[in-house]
Amino acid sequence: MDTNIGYQIKHLTFCKYALKTPNKTIALSFPQMLELRRKINELTSYSSLTNIVNNDNFVLLFVADKEHLIFLEIPQLLVLKEEIDLLFHTPVSLFV
Amino acid sequence: MNTIVRKQMSIHPDVMDLLNNQIAMEMKASASYLAMASWCDQRELLNSKALFYKQAEEEREHAMKIFEFINDNGGAAISPNVTNVNNDFESLLSIYETALEQEISVTQSIFKIFKAARKADDFITEVFLQWFISEQAEEEDNFRSILDIFGLMEGMPLKMIDERIPTE
Ligand SMILES: [Fe+2]
Ligand SMILES: [Fe+2]
Repeated sequence: MDTNIGYQIKHLTFCKYALKTPNKTIALSFPQMLELRRKINELTSYSSLTNIVNNDNFVLLFVADKEHLIFLEIPQLLVLKEEIDLLFHTPVSLFV
Repeated sequence: MNTIVRKQMSIHPDVMDLLNNQIAMEMKASASYLAMASWCDQRELLNSKALFYKQAEEEREHAMKIFEFINDNGGAAISPNVTNVNNDFESLLSIYETALEQEISVTQSIFKIFKAARKADDFITEVFLQWFISEQAEEEDNFRSILDIFGLMEGMPLKMIDERIPTE
């Protein structure tokens, strides 16, 4: 993954996930992970991205049942979307 | 579907998204039937009003079936926005025509999810959707029969037509 952008998702144990951001690591349960996936998918739709670019160029996003607030610009949003897609679609055998 | 997520969810994540869209579609259908029921209720079209109140409830039950299915299988069911409900109709015939069109588009949408489930080897969703496919065939048939009544009774007063609408 591109470490410059600094967002990464790790699968820790059976039902624990971690979202690594440039300044903290946020623990996520599976339902919290699903909610993050929903929000990121919504934010990365074409119309939403256009809307973000035409306004502040960033979004603030609550994660982990509103325990944390993260700051995302377009490239980071896209990285996070890829990370989540990977988590949801990569076969177990390819995960280390 | 042998992914990491498979351990938490027994349905495929992309199929889950489509099922969540379907929840929204069923709730929209429910709201739409409620509008039709009101139009008929205000005009004392008793059989039609009863039919559409019942349809409105049934569509909500369909939404709930899918809602619980998603959560029971480890996913996240989403309570949908229901917007742009049409409350303005020109005639009883056009209401029944709209109802049939609505049912046809629901059928098409169920087929789409069924195909996606099959493609993703999501057999649990595939089996779950079989009930919906038979249900849709029945619903379309009901509305087609009613539209036949309109064809046969063309030119008759509305209330007489309404009296011929089957009430189960
Ligand atoms: Fe339905
Ligand atoms: Fe229906």
